[in-house]
Amino acid sequence: MSRRDLTIAMVGAGGDGIVTMGDILSQAGARNGLNVIKTEAYGPQIRGGESSCVVRLSPSAIYEQGDAVDVLVVFSWADFGRFKGEVQPAPNAVVLFDEADPVARTREDLGIGADGHWLAVPFSKLAGDAGAKGSKNVVGLGVLTALFGLAEETIRRAVVKRFGRKKAAVGELALKAYEAGLVHGGTLPPMPERGLTFTPGPAKLLMSGNEASALGALHAGCRFFAGYPITPSTEILQFAEEWLPKMGGSVVQTEDELAAIGAVVGASFAGVKSMTATSGPGLSLMTEMLGLASMAEVPCVVVDVQRGGPSTGLPTKSEQSDLWQAVFAGHGDAPRVVIAASDVEDCFHTTVEAFNIAEEFQVPVIVLTDQSIGQRRETLDPTRLVHDVVDRAVPTAEELVEYKRYRDTPDGYSPMSVPGLKGGIYQTNGLEHDEFGRPASMAHVHETMNAKRYRKLKPIRDRYQRARRYGPAKADLGIVCWGSSKGAVKEAVLMAEERGEKVAAFIPQMIFPFPVKAFEEFRASVRQLLVIEISYAAQFYKYLRTFTTLPDNTIIFKRSGGKNLTISEVDDQIRRFFASGSQQKGAA
Amino acid sequence: MSAAPPALPVFVPGDYKTDLKPVWCPGCGDFGVLTALYRAMAELQLTPELTAVVSGIGCSSRLPGYVETYGFNTVHGRALPLATGVAVSRPDVKVIAVGGDGDGLAIGGNHFMHSARRNLDVTYILMDNEIYGLTKGQVAPTTPTGDKTKTTHYGNPEPAVDPCELAISFGATWVGRAFSGDLKGTVELIVKALRHRGFAFLNVMSPCVTWRGDDQFKSLKAKARPLPAGHDVTSRFEAFKFTRETDVLSTGVLYDVKSPSLNDRLDTIKVTARAGAPLVTVPEIVKTFLPSF
Ligand SMILES: Cc1ncc(C[n+]2csc(CCOP(=O)(O)OP(=O)(O)O)c2C)c(N)n1
Ligand code: SF4
Repeated sequence: MSRRDLTIAMVGAGGDGIVTMGDILSQAGARNGLNVIKTEAYGPQIRGGESSCVVRLSPSAIYEQGDAVDVLVVFSWADFGRFKGEVQPAPNAVVLFDEADPVARTREDLGIGADGHWLAVPFSKLAGDAGAKGSKNVVGLGVLTALFGLAEETIRRAVVKRFGRKKAAVGELALKAYEAGLVHGGTLPPMPERGLTFTPGPAKLLMSGNEASALGALHAGCRFFAGYPITPSTEILQFAEEWLPKMGGSVVQTEDELAAIGAVVGASFAGVKSMTATSGPGLSLMTEMLGLASMAEVPCVVVDVQRGGPSTGLPTKSEQSDLWQAVFAGHGDAPRVVIAASDVEDCFHTTVEAFNIAEEFQVPVIVLTDQSIGQRRETLDPTRLVHDVVDRAVPTAEELVEYKRYRDTPDGYSPMSVPGLKGGIYQTNGLEHDEFGRPASMAHVHETMNAKRYRKLKPIRDRYQRARRYGPAKADLGIVCWGSSKGAVKEAVLMAEERGEKVAAFIPQMIFPFPVKAFEEFRASVRQLLVIEISYAAQFYKYLRTFTTLPDNTIIFKRSGGKNLTISEVDDQIRRFFASGSQQKGAA
Repeated sequence: MSAAPPALPVFVPGDYKTDLKPVWCPGCGDFGVLTALYRAMAELQLTPELTAVVSGIGCSSRLPGYVETYGFNTVHGRALPLATGVAVSRPDVKVIAVGGDGDGLAIGGNHFMHSARRNLDVTYILMDNEIYGLTKGQVAPTTPTGDKTKTTHYGNPEPAVDPCELAISFGATWVGRAFSGDLKGTVELIVKALRHRGFAFLNVMSPCVTWRGDDQFKSLKAKARPLPAGHDVTSRFEAFKFTRETDVLSTGVLYDVKSPSLNDRLDTIKVTARAGAPLVTVPEIVKTFLPSF
């Protein structure tokens, strides 16, 4: 039987070209229409230092990075040690390491069993012989190609493109290194059963979640972006800065996040769709302005690419611990909308959706993504990047007669005029105000206007009951999770299905207002619930309990971030559940 | 004979007035600033629907509500970020930011620095009353050392800053100082500030009769006098000679230089980025993510 997919991990020191190696592998995969997920991890150094890259390639759909590595390439064992617990070869993995490495490791150290392969490869020597000392990584690509049936010609072209870009001679040396790797690979024990078998298909896009979020914004019509750099969201600012001017838009890198969200609210008040992106600490600084946007009913979109917190916490690693902050942080009663993206493609769609909701209902919308999907690269089908765009309703001529900016309408939102519109002049503020926007602090006005602002949540809830549901219509175990947990959960659900276990999953895209009805239907369709999240405080579990009741026998699987949720972790939870026999007991 | 062009509307100061009655205390200096602004706007015939007045929070920050243009009274200290968004995204809109000394120099100080540095296309009018008016009389960054306020019972232990000196140091390209008790002078200076391309900062000494008493008005009136004729407005050094005055308050244009504004520079970027090509579309950007080999 041919393999379903192949997960290759590469680890080395700064200068070993680990990232380039991963880039070429994933680009070649994308070029041939394979499904690819690529993740990278670095040491704490700003530049140089150890790095690791994991690339999963598959002819069929994949939803999460593979956690049991099939092939491990190690250029430096010392650096490998720094990724303890993050890069884990499967017991039957093929391990390829540099024979010149002064540090020695044994297959027992890594738990490689008899069905695995432990192979010393002269990476450095072959690179040196090829006249390109720094090209161990390209030699490595050659070896991998020979052993695992990768697309030789595609990788060759990718190597030339990457190295011959500036100087053709450099490209030629790299090619020599590649050929040397191919030849050496031919001398190693053949393992055809490990190779990837596939028919090349149309090329796919290779994109990160952050790029997809930025792209979604541009697609939605965003023409003003303000932001302050913060890992792991910075690529969104960088992307906007590169492309917006070419679309006639503008970007300001502000002095802080207070200014970023302020400028976004200002631009939106001026009639231009606008957005900012940040991570947890930045969202904290934006909190006051979100209150203003809610009160003055100015559309705005904030993407929060979550990282481990509090404070600087784990700035380069993922966590799902900004949930409470996104939904609840703020002063006063201030409606907002929170939606969550679950993978790279979803980053595109949720951002467009965020603009659609913000513009139509004139509310701030927070999009929660996280480092794991924000910074990983994934292949996408280019035809999938379509999404309807909603524009703000401007007042009609009729509505401009004695224009009331905050007319108390049945759905709570009222046509919003923009500078340039003659009859639509209004003065607004963060003070409680009447329908014209004039300050009014009487209790009854506050009550009426609060009701008006909160009323918007109803059509949003009704029209955007967005949630994904996987698995059979009736199941013994129902997993509830959100955001980036989707990938691991979906794969584990599919694995359970293969074993004949009935497991379903519920993953809301709309976080606030929470799709209570859809959730309650799900709850009724399963015997027992399992809530999964990457938050030590179990923010999601407690959040669910705020809006609905959860049975006492609900299982919680939660832990801190720092390491992405893996397929095996979810699989393990499912297996335990079925092994304990509790599926018979739970009330439906 | 060709027909005469249709008559353009002519705005008089009263056209810029909303029907909202100011909440200010009788005698507050901010009335003078508001009246001066109406007149300056009329003098320049600013189109109301293409003008936006943005403020933070404070007594003075209530001003946008009284001006018949697009207006936004936002949150404490953030007038300039909001103004940035309006000015950059809508270069066709004339943006005026207003506020108090606490709003602009304490909580919003960082934005003041960077807006000046960027040469943001905004006229920023700061109503300096050397006190926190709205919160009823606490010390402000411009309160003179030794003064007693609600939070300096034993006298202000801190030195005050001079807003004009800061603005010049930060890179503002137009800096002026006015006294709201001098209506004519204030109108003239607002007109000049509004005409300037780039960040124009006008500090208006605007007495708070309630928390600084009658003395503040009297002493400002006694001290205010026009800058000497022949003051070199292009020299920072010359300007700084007037920013540390204590016995007099020189009003007028302290500093005025030409330099590309933020919008000028962003326009240049748009031209460079496109290099003559039509506007890029999203599908074109998407294509750059396809492996091309
Ligand atoms: C975040 C925040 N902190 C504090 C306040 C309270 N506050 C409102 S106005 C103000 C200071 C007002 O002084 P100034 O800016 O000089 O304006 P003035 O009232 O004197 O015109 C303060 C501290 C607030 N509204 N928001
Ligand atoms: S408290 Fe002072 S600044 Fe505020 S309105 Fe009264 S006089 Fe003016």
